[in-house]
Amino acid sequence: MARIIDWVDERLDLSDIRHFIAEKGVPIHTQKIWYYLGGMTLFLFLVQIASGILLLLYYRPSADEAYESVQFIVTQVEFGWLIRNIHSWSANLLILAVVAHLFSVFFLKAYRKPRELTWITGVLLLFVMLGFGFSGYLLPWNELAFFATKVGTGIAGAVPLIGDALMRFLRGGDDVTGATLSRFYALHIAILPAVTTLLVAVHLLFVQRQGMSVPIPIAQRMKRGERFRQMPFFPDYILRDVLLWYVAIALLAALAAFYPWELGRKADAFAPVPPGIRPEWYFLAMFHTLKLLPSHIFGIEGEVVGVVGFGLAALGLLLVPFLDRRAARDEPSPLFTALGIGGLVYFVALTIIGHLAS
Amino acid sequence: MPARFDRRGCLDSLLGAGFVSTLVAMAYPVWRFLIPPASGEPVTQSVVAAQASQVKPNSGMLFKFGSRPGLLVRTQEGELQAFNAVCTHLDCTVQYKADTSQIWCACHNGLYDLSGNVVSGPPPRPLERLVVNQRGEDVVVSRA
Amino acid sequence: MTRFSARLAATVMGLLCVGGFLGVSRAWAQTPADGCVSCHAALPQPELSGPATAFRTDVHSERGFRCVDCHGGDPTTQDKARAKDPARGYRGKPTGQQIVTTCARCHSDAAVMRKFAPALRIDQAAEYATSVHGMRLASGDRKVATCATCHQAHGVRRVKDARAPVFPTNVATLCASCHANAEHMKGYTLSGGAAIPTNQHAEYQKSVHFNALTKQNDLSAPTCNDCHGNHGATPPGVGAVSNVCGTCHAVFATKFATSAHSQIFERACVECHSNHAVLAASDELIGTSKDALCFTCHEGADDAGFVAAGRMRASIEKLKTSLAANNELIARARNAGMEVGTEELALNEARTKLVLARTEVHAFDPASLDAVVAEGTKILSGVEQGGNRALSELAFRRRGLFISLGAILLFVVALALKVRSLGKAAADAAPR
Repeated sequence: MARIIDWVDERLDLSDIRHFIAEKGVPIHTQKIWYYLGGMTLFLFLVQIASGILLLLYYRPSADEAYESVQFIVTQVEFGWLIRNIHSWSANLLILAVVAHLFSVFFLKAYRKPRELTWITGVLLLFVMLGFGFSGYLLPWNELAFFATKVGTGIAGAVPLIGDALMRFLRGGDDVTGATLSRFYALHIAILPAVTTLLVAVHLLFVQRQGMSVPIPIAQRMKRGERFRQMPFFPDYILRDVLLWYVAIALLAALAAFYPWELGRKADAFAPVPPGIRPEWYFLAMFHTLKLLPSHIFGIEGEVVGVVGFGLAALGLLLVPFLDRRAARDEPSPLFTALGIGGLVYFVALTIIGHLAS
Repeated sequence: MPARFDRRGCLDSLLGAGFVSTLVAMAYPVWRFLIPPASGEPVTQSVVAAQASQVKPNSGMLFKFGSRPGLLVRTQEGELQAFNAVCTHLDCTVQYKADTSQIWCACHNGLYDLSGNVVSGPPPRPLERLVVNQRGEDVVVSRA
Repeated sequence: MTRFSARLAATVMGLLCVGGFLGVSRAWAQTPADGCVSCHAALPQPELSGPATAFRTDVHSERGFRCVDCHGGDPTTQDKARAKDPARGYRGKPTGQQIVTTCARCHSDAAVMRKFAPALRIDQAAEYATSVHGMRLASGDRKVATCATCHQAHGVRRVKDARAPVFPTNVATLCASCHANAEHMKGYTLSGGAAIPTNQHAEYQKSVHFNALTKQNDLSAPTCNDCHGNHGATPPGVGAVSNVCGTCHAVFATKFATSAHSQIFERACVECHSNHAVLAASDELIGTSKDALCFTCHEGADDAGFVAAGRMRASIEKLKTSLAANNELIARARNAGMEVGTEELALNEARTKLVLARTEVHAFDPASLDAVVAEGTKILSGVEQGGNRALSELAFRRRGLFISLGAILLFVVALALKVRSLGKAAADAAPR
């Protein structure tokens, strides 16, 4: 192994990288457990890429054949059930990890100066992951996915001014059809991966250049001259990371075997909407909020108010580093902590309520 | 200290063994996944119903088309015809009757001719016809 | 007379001449084509103008026939007396038996029909004479149906025309126009002396046949004429019912003919399934419960028929239960992602056997029914095997997963130990 590295070093001069790896450390303090979430998110995304590429070998992206091809994968291809279920479960775990990573970074105020761009690329990555989830969900072309997409793209139509155009753009037409499937397929395997590569590259570049952020109290103590021990990234931290990744693999395999994803029935555009249709859990809070809003608020349609509200919340989330002046000065920022708790409680509560309501 | 050293070496080799075995446990399913399965491809549009030499003139045989039965018929003149073998009356499976060269449903005596049209009996609609092609020795039946 | 008034008179006279000439020539030009129609169409009384208007769309009119071809008379004159002069062949409005003779003049003549519609039959009048309608008409009853009643005298449409009163979906309403009218049917009796019922149409509308014909567009479904005959309409007699129903329901008729019931029940199929209100049959009809039809005659366990009915119903129920259970098993396997295509095909076969079993019931022989049910049960046992095999494959996957999970967890434990030992080594080596 060492010989191979030397061979490459002679040609490429890896001295900078070697130095970097040797020096890279992770600060040790009580909150360091949250550092693992970023790596976990990245790992689960890599699992998605690998399982996705494997599924790509057999999947057929047309309304006539999509369902049958997934059925074929699950029933005829050896271990097809395993790959498909891992892909479906890992998608959910990935979104869970992204959300956990977001909240941990938020509460630790790691978005503060100089890490504003890391935060922005991160939030954009959250939106991209949600896009992956939404587009991938339609690909098996089953009943549930078809109607969930119909409802979801219909909500996009509630955006003021550009809503109709947006809906037509997403659907590839006026209704959810094979054209929608083609579009979502392109999104899912080409457009979003390209965008993700870019965003992740920038995100990781920043993390490597700036090192790990520390909680504000620790930063204040550091400013006062206190020294904190560092855990060497390689091999200590990376082994712990790998450990957690293996636990994730074990969890995925167990979920794939004991709670396999159902395929359901093939989508039929002319069938009536099955009762109690609702999106996947990560959209449930937003969806249920829209359901709870009254039909008109101050003369404006309730749905429009909801969608605009979400848009403003998303914008707010993106701009948090610039809005939180106190954290930028490394000062405790209880207002934003409270906002974060409020957001978390709202998200969890609405998800649970939305789930129980159906 | 020798004892400590042994334990570390032991741990390292255990680690190595564990790593390799888990890698194999993950690589094996992926490798089997990559090998194309025997059934070829999803039955959405077409299926190999039979070998051409198996189907004698004035005979019919049932085959599997997706999740439904299909009927492959070779007429007295040697022409191949294929139909969806589900009777349009009450979904019984039809069969070929060689003595009258017609397709017959045993349930209520429905009779169809070799174009799938209803000759007599309760069926309200003709049998759905499928497209037959020959690829070497394979008789390939596809949806119309 | 002044010069002006003379000129005025001349102009007026000239105009009158021109107008008269035009009018006469117009009438002269029209007379060969229109004849009777030109007068009758303009009459205010609907019973006189109706036929003329209706005849425009008549199939006979298409072929070049005119009023005079049935009614006789002179079509070339506008004068009513001359047009309807019996000396010129005018026959007037045919009534009673005259209607049949008028139509039959062409429709029973092979040479004529060959010229105009070679595919049509020419025995309608002869058939009609054998029917109840025909025989009553011959004895002077003017209330019965004649050719004109069903086909309409003017504005006759082809039978294939969906607007024709004799088109399959319209036949029942047509017959009901008399047969459901209590006033009209007063005085008519059946052979036994009882009054002819007038509820047939209402009953028929409850039936599966009516449903198939009107709601499912199945034109092969029977309506009045399919069982009672067309022109020779008479209710099927004793002993003929089975044949009539058996025209379509051939297998049932054959099986029934082998059974003991065919010797006992004169009314055959009608006995259990009714004649007009033929409802969808269900398994509830057979059995030993009070709702079952068998119970009407067979009561008590000492009755061999009662025992047989119980056995047959039990047999069918057994097959149905097994079918339902296997459906569920295969659905479960399919939902879990297992390949069960062959088993699903076999389930189709088993369903076919259930349909065949219900047909076999009409032989009223428990042994033959058991044979069919046994075939179904055999297929289902194969399905059950396949389904269980799929589920055990599922279990095998889970077991296989436990093993690899074990390998992974072993590795995780080893890794954790390694991490801890590294931590200890770092603690040992770190400067205090």
